[in-house]
Amino acid sequence: MSAISLENVTKRFSADTVAARDINLEIDPGTFTVLLGLSGSGKSTLLRLINGLHKPTSGSVTVLGTEVGTARKTQLRHLRREVGMVFQQFHLVGSMSTLENVCTGALGSLRGPRMGLFSYPKAVRQRALEQLDRVGLADQRFQRADTLSGGQQQRVAVARALVQQPKILLADEPVASLDPESSNQVMSLIAQIAREDDLTVICSLHQVELARHWGDRIIGLRQGVKVMDELAADVSSDDAMRIYSAQWASEAAAAERAGGQEEQLAASGGANLR
Amino acid sequence: MTTAVRERTTAETSAPRGSTTRPALSDTRTLRGPSSRALLGFSIMAAFIAGGIWSMIELRINIASLIVGFENAVVFFQDRVGTLEWPELPDLMESTAMTLAIVLLATLLGAIISVILGLAAAFNTSPSRATRALARTFVVVMRAIPELIMAIVFIRLFGGGAVAGILALGLNSIGMLGKFYADAIEDHDDGPRRALESGGSPRSRQIFGATIPGIMPAIVAHGLHRFDINLRASVILGWIGLPGLGADLSQALGVGSYHRAIPLALIILGICIAAEILSGFLRMKLLGRSEPSRYGFIWAYHKVRDRYRTNGVTESTVKVSDTSRLGDRTTPPWNLGRISRVAAMGLFLALIVVSAWYAEIDWVRFFEGFASIPDVAGQFWPPDDGDIPETLWAALLTTVQMGLAATLLGAILALPVGAMAARNVAPNPWVAQIFRNLIVVTRGIPELILAIILIVIMGMGQVAGTLALALGAMGLLSKLVADSIEETDVRVQQAISTGGAGRFQVFMAATVRQAAPASVAHLFYQLDVNIRAATLLGIVGAGGVGYYLLNANRVLSFEVVTYILLMIFVVVLILEFISILMRRLLR
Repeated sequence: MSAISLENVTKRFSADTVAARDINLEIDPGTFTVLLGLSGSGKSTLLRLINGLHKPTSGSVTVLGTEVGTARKTQLRHLRREVGMVFQQFHLVGSMSTLENVCTGALGSLRGPRMGLFSYPKAVRQRALEQLDRVGLADQRFQRADTLSGGQQQRVAVARALVQQPKILLADEPVASLDPESSNQVMSLIAQIAREDDLTVICSLHQVELARHWGDRIIGLRQGVKVMDELAADVSSDDAMRIYSAQWASEAAAAERAGGQEEQLAASGGANLR
Repeated sequence: MTTAVRERTTAETSAPRGSTTRPALSDTRTLRGPSSRALLGFSIMAAFIAGGIWSMIELRINIASLIVGFENAVVFFQDRVGTLEWPELPDLMESTAMTLAIVLLATLLGAIISVILGLAAAFNTSPSRATRALARTFVVVMRAIPELIMAIVFIRLFGGGAVAGILALGLNSIGMLGKFYADAIEDHDDGPRRALESGGSPRSRQIFGATIPGIMPAIVAHGLHRFDINLRASVILGWIGLPGLGADLSQALGVGSYHRAIPLALIILGICIAAEILSGFLRMKLLGRSEPSRYGFIWAYHKVRDRYRTNGVTESTVKVSDTSRLGDRTTPPWNLGRISRVAAMGLFLALIVVSAWYAEIDWVRFFEGFASIPDVAGQFWPPDDGDIPETLWAALLTTVQMGLAATLLGAILALPVGAMAARNVAPNPWVAQIFRNLIVVTRGIPELILAIILIVIMGMGQVAGTLALALGAMGLLSKLVADSIEETDVRVQQAISTGGAGRFQVFMAATVRQAAPASVAHLFYQLDVNIRAATLLGIVGAGGVGYYLLNANRVLSFEVVTYILLMIFVVVLILEFISILMRRLLR
């Protein structure tokens, strides 16, 4: 059984903003899939459809046996516990310690609101520390998150996602705001952890080379349409570049415009969902 | 294939450029026709300036009355005061403790409700659109009702104890804090909360896990700021029966014993300034926004501390390398920082408990108060003009004039002071520092206290009140002007000065243009603040409608109180409307 399956999924934000068009996709457990595409091509929307932050306008999204489009609120929350997510801008609380930030990953399975390290059970703190050690930042556990470098912050964010003990890890351009060396560190960390924990990873990227190096499978998106779906081993650099190629320069400009709207909608979409 | 594509795109892009020459301009205007927005904006500005000048003439604020006031002051100090009589220390301590307890509890109450309302009003944390609208409306209403009105009503309901003051100041704080907190939540990076949402946390855990920790510094900083404001407001509430320093002062003034009133006013002044310095210091540490001003006390302290801290760092690195393997410690070590954090928290909690105990909250009376709502409402309704409507409306006009004149005067004083205090405009850092200090001193003096002192020495009337308000307005406006000038984009100024423009040209061309919208918005905010303050100042005898409000309250004709409250309310609403309109126009 596939871990994630999308059938004829379309996501429409408004009449002329379509972020996903009739997408079909089956993703096997334990595989590393890379999404490639321009900004605004629908990568983020696709990831958000998978953990139910967006609901499809039509079609069905099934993740780990749960039908996301029709799931009730609690079902959706249970699903999200199984799906960790890492963001481009890390999304850590700067004024909180590294360890507490990691602990917040476990909130989905704890009861009641928490504030301060003390409010987390010792077992959770210990688990958080283990994951922090795994990403190589155990020594920085009591430092404020905003004192860390970008690469370090992203590793903390990975640790936060791991505390959930997820089966699927979604990464939304995790290295887009990092320098090449930190990018490699973060990518190899994700790949290594995916192997060790047998995670299903879907990672959106900008860089073709990183995609070919780390991915098992590459999916290309353009204006919400799946334009490529091949094993990474079969994709040449030129093939992958086609997704960005100038042939679609004018369309890309249109996508850019739509993308601006889409990002705004994506940001508010999460709030409107409730 | 790629080359073919490239050719095509170059062909496409070059075609429109190369093929035709540019057609001649059919429209050669270099000035834009006036827009209705600009016209409206300018006419409001013109009306404000004209109104200010007219008010100054009507209120007879001119050199002659200043000279008379000065002569009065000389006579006053020679004849009326005699030797100053300082209050007995135990009495003074008692009143101070009461005032501080009321203000602390009120601010706390306001802050807690405001956080809840802020969460309900911010789009990213609000459960629904309806909740959002409801919370926003509640905040606006709390801002529109002056604290004095709330206090008069609450004193009727809950008696003249601390409870009425706590409720009035606390609810009034919501008007400001609720808005600030909602804005802080919306402006704050929503990413951490969304990260938790995508991890399956329900809303309450998202809020406590990410949103509140993220905006905690803002919560405390705005709360501290509001503490200052509440402290000042608590003094005026003494005139209508709130226990504490204000009550002592109003008593002394009421029986005309100036030798007792002046020391009290000075003591209150000292307490307000001390609170301002303390809360400013705490706010600076929390927000970490501005460096401490050089050559000041705090700067010197930091220097010493940093030296100490560098020694500390070498020690701690040694420790870390000792226990570099993964220990099982999941709580931070008890280092100096944590001890002081916990101690500060404990002290704060202790202060709250002590205040609650000291304020002697009468819970029975509190719940009886709710039962008496129908009775009290009957006393206040229907509104009645007390057969002196002309007098009341004339007094209201005076109040508005005081606000207008004070704002204009304050603005005229504030523009040069603010510009000189901005570090990117002042000719050298020393000048900026001097003007900064001037602003700090002016802002530290509460206008109510200043008005009382001016009334005592210059005699009762509008002139004293207007001058007090004008000085207060100057303090706040020049700070806001200085800040908005400093926030301007320096690169633009550099660009213009590389073109050979002189210092003043750069200032007019780049700085003023960038800072103007924010400054005008602040000006109308200040007008709003001043007219509200002018109603309060009437209570201490500075002219205007507040005097009649106090009298009506004193002789228990509450229908008249309601009438005056409604009058004030109408003015406040009109002002609110104008300043919203002006902010829209400037956006």
